[in-house]
Amino acid sequence: MSENKKLLVTPSPHTGSALTTKKIMLHVIVALCFPLVAGVVLYGFYALFVVLLAVAAAVGGEWFYNLIRKKPNTTGDLSAIVTGMILGLNLPPTVPFYVPLVGGVFATMFVKMLFGGLGKNFANPAATARIFLLLAWGTQMMTFIAPIDYSTAPDAARLFAGFVSDNAYVTSATPLADIKNAAAAGAPGVDLMDLFLGNIGGTIGETCKIAIILSMIYLLVFRVIDWKIPTGYFVSVAVFSLIIYNEGWNFILPNLLSGGVMFAGVFMLTDYSTSPDTRLGTWIYAAGAGLMTILIRRYGGMNEGASFAVLLMNLLTPLIDKICLTRPFGYKKPPKKKADAGGGAA
Amino acid sequence: MKIKTFRYGVHPEERKELSKNAPIAAVLPGERVAVPMSQHIGAPAEPVVNVGDRVKAGSLIGRATAIVSANVFSSVSGTVAALEMKEGVSGAKCLHVVIENDFKYEEERLAMLTDPEREEIIARAREAGIVGMGGAAFPFDVKLSVKNPVDILLINGSECEPYITCDYRLMLERAEGVVSGVKLVRKALGAKRAVIAVEANKRDAFDALQRYAAAEGIETALVKTKYPQGGEKQLIYALTKRKVPAGKLPGDVGCIVTNAATAYALYEAVVFGKPLYERVVTVSGLAAARPGNFSVRTGTSFGYLAKHAGIASDFVKAVQGGPMMGVSMHSLEPSVTKSSGALLLLTEGEIRAVEPTPCINCARCANVCPMSLMPMKTDALILKDKTEETKKYHPELCIECGSCAYVCPAKRPLVQSQRLAKKLILNRERR
Repeated sequence: MSENKKLLVTPSPHTGSALTTKKIMLHVIVALCFPLVAGVVLYGFYALFVVLLAVAAAVGGEWFYNLIRKKPNTTGDLSAIVTGMILGLNLPPTVPFYVPLVGGVFATMFVKMLFGGLGKNFANPAATARIFLLLAWGTQMMTFIAPIDYSTAPDAARLFAGFVSDNAYVTSATPLADIKNAAAAGAPGVDLMDLFLGNIGGTIGETCKIAIILSMIYLLVFRVIDWKIPTGYFVSVAVFSLIIYNEGWNFILPNLLSGGVMFAGVFMLTDYSTSPDTRLGTWIYAAGAGLMTILIRRYGGMNEGASFAVLLMNLLTPLIDKICLTRPFGYKKPPKKKADAGGGAA
Repeated sequence: MKIKTFRYGVHPEERKELSKNAPIAAVLPGERVAVPMSQHIGAPAEPVVNVGDRVKAGSLIGRATAIVSANVFSSVSGTVAALEMKEGVSGAKCLHVVIENDFKYEEERLAMLTDPEREEIIARAREAGIVGMGGAAFPFDVKLSVKNPVDILLINGSECEPYITCDYRLMLERAEGVVSGVKLVRKALGAKRAVIAVEANKRDAFDALQRYAAAEGIETALVKTKYPQGGEKQLIYALTKRKVPAGKLPGDVGCIVTNAATAYALYEAVVFGKPLYERVVTVSGLAAARPGNFSVRTGTSFGYLAKHAGIASDFVKAVQGGPMMGVSMHSLEPSVTKSSGALLLLTEGEIRAVEPTPCINCARCANVCPMSLMPMKTDALILKDKTEETKKYHPELCIECGSCAYVCPAKRPLVQSQRLAKKLILNRERR
C-alpha cells in the first residue's frame, strides 16, 4: 500500500443510504404484483396480457421518445414499467388490445417525457392516460366482466375470456353504479365482503382490496410511500362520505372499498413528482383528493371519481406547495416595512 | 428516563462497533512533526521560534495574533528543523513549524491553577491555545467571553457522526476529568445550569459521567441516537426546547454548547498546566486494519497514524472527521490538528459513490432536513442559475449536516448545491 495512491476527493457527505431510484421502482413493481396476481385469478389470463401490453407500450414510448430526441435511453430506471403496470391495472380485464397499447405510449411519451421525464411531469401519467382512454373509448373502458366463479371448475374459455371476442361474461351492474343509484334511497345494496375480496366487476387491479392492502403494507415497511397520503385520503373519503351523503355510516365502507379509491390512495396519489413536497401540503392534497372523489361520485356525471380526483390534485400540487412552504427551523418572517412597499411602487 | 431529541434527521449506519471497544492508546510521533500555525478558525498564529531552536513538548511555538486566533505549542521535544508552507487538511497551504523529534518527550508546562477565578479560567483557555475540539476549532476563550448572560451550558457528548468514538472513550475512561472540565467551563460562563448530553448508544459513558456529575450539581441527559443530534441548534432544542432564531447564535437564547473533549482540555490546562498539543483521534473505516482510539500529538502526519492502524488494499478515500461532515483529503500528508476527531480510511463499498441521476421529487431530503429546508428546490434552481429564486428556500440556514444528500435516492449533491447557493447569494449582496 503506497501513500501516493490517488485518493478520491469529494465534498461531504462521504456516505449515503443504500436506497436508489431503481430500488424504489423495483419495490413498487413488487408491490404492484399483488393486485396483478389477484386480477389474473379473478378475471383470467387476458388480464395479464393487458398489463403486459401496457408495460410494453409504456417502456416502448419512453424508449422511442429518447430515440427521436437523440437522448440517452432512460428506461433503465424502471419507472416506465411502473407506469405501464399502474395503467394496465386500471383497465377493464377484457379491454381490446389496442387500448393498453395506445394508453401506455400516451402515458410515457406525452404525459411524462414531453414534460422532462422522471420527476418533472406535473400529472400522474397513468391517471391521465386512463382519463384519455375513457374519453377515446368510453364503451370499451366501461365494459366489465364478472369474476370467475371457482365454486365449479372454470373451463378454458372462461380462463381465457377476452382473447376471443366473447360477451358472455359481461356484467351490467358494478358496485359504483349501485352506490350512485342508491344515494337517493339511503343505503347501497352492495355486499361489503364481495367488495373487500374483489368478487365484483371492475378493473384488473382495483377490485381486490386484500391485495392492495398487502401492497400498502409492503410499501410502508420499505418506506417507499409517504404514509400521510393513503391515511389522509382514506380518512377524507370516509369523512366526506359521512357528510355529503348524510346517511350516517351507510356510505363510508362502500365508498372506501369500491372503485379505485384504495388503488389510487396507495399507488397513484403517492406518485412522487405529482404530490406535494411540504408536510402540510401533503395533508391538504390527500384530504382534497378525498373530497373530490366523493363530490364526483355523488353529484358528477360519472360513477367513478378517483382518477379525476388524482389528476385534479396533481394540477393543484404546485400551488399547494407554494402556499404551504415549510418555515425553516428558527425562522421568523421579517416584519413588512411600509416604507419599502411605497418605495417599490414609486 | 426520558430520551430527548430534535425533529427529523437521519439514522446513518453507525459503524461505531469498529472502534468503540478500543481503549485510548498513545501513538508517539515519528522523526518529525509538522505543526500547522493555523489549526483554528481565525488568524493564523505567528511563529515565535526559529530554525535550530530547542523546544519541549508544550513550548509555545506560535502566538495568537488577533482576538479570534489561538496559541500553538510544540508536541515533542527536539529542534526546530524548518518553517515551511505545507498543505493542511482542506488542501489550502499554511505555515507549519517542523520539529525534529529527539524522542525524549521533555515537557514544558504552564503554572498549575488551584481554584481559579472566572477571568483566570478564560485567560488560561487563551494561554493554552484551547479551541473547540468538536470540529469547528473556534477559539475557546472567545466563546467563554460571551456578552449575554448564559443560563444553560450544554456539553455535547452526543458524538452523532458515524464511526467516531474518540469522545466516547474519553467520557468513559476519563469521566472525572471531563466533569471537572465542565465545572470550570460553567464557572467561566457563570452559567446557572450545566447539562452533559450523551447519545443513548453510549450508555456506559453516560453512567460513568453521571457518577461524578451528580455530586457537582451537573445534570446529565440521554439524547436519542439520531443524526445530527450534536448539531448546536438541534441539541439546544432537544434539551431546552429553545429555538435559536435564524442568523443568531446560541448565546441569544441563553445557551452555550461545547464539546466534551474541549472541557477535558480545559481541565488539563488548568489543573496540570498542560497546553493543548495532544488529543484523542479515532482511526476507523473498513480500510483500517486495526481501528482504534489513539492519543495523538498534533503535527503527527495522518499517514503516520494510518500506518500505525494499518491500511487495507481496498482503501480509496481518506476523511478527516466523520463521514457526514468531514473533509476528504487528497493525500495523507497533512498533520493532525487540535480539531481532528477522526481519520477514516474508507473503501468503495462504504462510501457508495454513484453518479447522480435526475431528482424524482420524492421529498425525502425535505422530510429529514433538521432545519426544515427544501434542498431539492435549491438544487434544481441553482443548476439553472436562478440564484435569486433560491432565497425563498433559505439556503443560508443550511447547517451542511448532509442528511439530505444521505437519504437522496437519486444521489444528488444536495449539500454542495446549498453551499453554492449560499456563496452566490453572498456574492450578489456584496456587489
